Amino acid sequence: MTLWLMAGLLFTPLAWAVLTLLAGFRRGRVVTWLGIAIQVLVSLALWAVVVRDGGFQYPLGGWQAPLGIELRVDGLAVTFVLLTALVAAASGLHAGFYLDPDKQWHRYFWPLFWFLWAGLNVVWLGNDLFNLYVGLELISLSAVGLVALGGQSEALRAALRYLMAALLGSLAYLLGVALFYGEFGSLSLSGIASALGQDSSGDGTGFALVLMLFGLALKTALFPMHRWLPPAHGIARSPVSALLSALVVKGSFYIAARLWLELGAPLGSLALAQLLGLLGGMAVFWGGWQALRQRKLKQVVAYSSVAQIGYLFLLFPLTWNTTEAAALQAQQAMTLQVISHALAKAAMFLSAGNLIMSVGSNRVNALAGVSHFLPFSLFSFGLAGVSLMGLPPTGGFAAKWLFLQASLATGQWWWLVVLLGGGLLSAAYVFRVYRASFVEDSNIDHFFHPARRLEIIPMILALLSLGLGLMAEPVLSVMALTFANGEGT
Amino acid sequence: MKRILTLLPATAVCLAFVSGLAYSIWQIAITTTSVDLPGLLGENLDQSGVENPVTAVLLNFRSYDTLLEIGVLVIAGIAGISVARTSSLEDPELRTSDTLLYALQRWLIPLMLLLAGYLLWAGSDRPGGAFQAGAVLAASGVLMRLGGIPMDFLRPGIMLRLGLSLGFAVFLLVAVTSALHGGEFLAYPPELAKTLIVVIETVLTLSIAMVLLALFVSAPVNNAEEPEEGGSG
Repeated sequence: MTLWLMAGLLFTPLAWAVLTLLAGFRRGRVVTWLGIAIQVLVSLALWAVVVRDGGFQYPLGGWQAPLGIELRVDGLAVTFVLLTALVAAASGLHAGFYLDPDKQWHRYFWPLFWFLWAGLNVVWLGNDLFNLYVGLELISLSAVGLVALGGQSEALRAALRYLMAALLGSLAYLLGVALFYGEFGSLSLSGIASALGQDSSGDGTGFALVLMLFGLALKTALFPMHRWLPPAHGIARSPVSALLSALVVKGSFYIAARLWLELGAPLGSLALAQLLGLLGGMAVFWGGWQALRQRKLKQVVAYSSVAQIGYLFLLFPLTWNTTEAAALQAQQAMTLQVISHALAKAAMFLSAGNLIMSVGSNRVNALAGVSHFLPFSLFSFGLAGVSLMGLPPTGGFAAKWLFLQASLATGQWWWLVVLLGGGLLSAAYVFRVYRASFVEDSNIDHFFHPARRLEIIPMILALLSLGLGLMAEPVLSVMALTFANGEGT
Repeated sequence: MKRILTLLPATAVCLAFVSGLAYSIWQIAITTTSVDLPGLLGENLDQSGVENPVTAVLLNFRSYDTLLEIGVLVIAGIAGISVARTSSLEDPELRTSDTLLYALQRWLIPLMLLLAGYLLWAGSDRPGGAFQAGAVLAASGVLMRLGGIPMDFLRPGIMLRLGLSLGFAVFLLVAVTSALHGGEFLAYPPELAKTLIVVIETVLTLSIAMVLLALFVSAPVNNAEEPEEGGSG
């Protein structure tokens, strides 16, 4: 049963990429619906299996690590697989109605969408440094392809910039992988971690870890390496922006977090941990400030991503050389922040797309009067905003509360400034959008009304993000599940 | 002076990078690895179905990576043709009419096709294989294209998309068939390993050549532009 589920999980996105490449846009859409149904069911079933029996290793091709590639299917991995299934399904369904089927280049949306989904699953399940690199490449290239779709010169410029940043990040990561392989003769992450725990001092691989963290931070758009993100996420079609902000940047962050949690203790240093936290804190302020100043609606949302990514990097100082309880809290906070930001940001970009479609302009000021005639789309946008601000009972609140507790427990009180200030800034930029929409300019409804199905999808995502705070306990208990046999290797 | 000041941080970063790398490599060179992977590979080579260790790693032990890498190539191909204006293929201005090129082509192209075939076949017991053969095949395609030989299959139709995905699709089918028989994803039955690897390598050669050729032919110019969402307002 588990073997079949794993095969289904790995096979479906790749197979659907081929099928939709051969079909046109409209037929590809129908084929995609079927694929989404299969993939969501398989992800749910796998999640249920891990909840019941605990995690397991999955040797591909029957070859054990270090000769072959082993996947690591634990609680955290299946939680993210399920999250990906939810967000990708929502974005895919939205895109099916949002994109214009008569433009011939939109047919290529489907294969790129499926390759992106496949790449994300590769990253969540990966436990092999080189395999993770291949997953990163799948994600980056399909994301760049999705941004460039249509080939308009602005989009091409943003896509090329994104490609260059992603390539530099990949190369830095790959060089680190080569150094690790040279030192340990193995690419398996848990194999390296156990070798480090036993005898090997790992001299010289500290530099490799720094290189890899640099590359991954660049791909995650950590301040001050975030400059590629707003143009790319702003210019892409809204369902694409939702995928990019909700999932793609989390892929590289997840690898960085996994590296840090496995290898950070022996190879990291206090300075490195504090530096990453500091950059994260600056990202929160800079991203929030820039979001407040943008004129275009989607740029506001894109800069908000820069800020929200910043919180994730508090994981590094809060888990380095701290008590087990505080480190666990920080990890839980990171997981909740990834999940709630993914749901909220996807909801926000999808509803921003609907709003832009309604008013026919991408400027914030053009929203005047929208609240009167399109309360539904605006409401999803606002609900997602509430989670970003970190108000109770949202997932964003639970994440920031846990970060706060971990900061206090480790005596690193200075992160409190980031947590409180960041929340205020996000409130400011969300309210700015609201204020613009409440301006009454005329009593005539001159807006285009998007189909109800387009409006419902972001609403569901926003509600999920809102309810995450209430479901945090069960979600966190699944995340903590490791392997059934009790071995960590 | 100003220029020196801007160059200074860049030089410092480069120096730090080079010295960090040198120190790392020095440290790594004087320690022995805790896992002997080449030894492990040698022990398992006879079960892999091929004699060349590189091919064994690429298409058996770490075939998952290779499958996904082919996916990356297909993505590159898709991204290339999705932004392309392809009418330029029929543009007579772009055709070369060089008698020397024509004469050379008659000699070179059959030789290159033969070389591609040899590289593919050699992959099973010595350096060679699908990637090298595909690259040579693509190079001969580029030469034919420069010489103005019409290649209708490169127009963005079903043939191009079939060609792009053929190798990947066959590889994926092999991977899932083994899983359907109760094994792991990508686990070949040992007695069929050699046949399956040869089949996969052959279709991969065609698809790799197709991706490279499609990227060469499709230059990213597009007259029918898509405006930014809400860009008019």
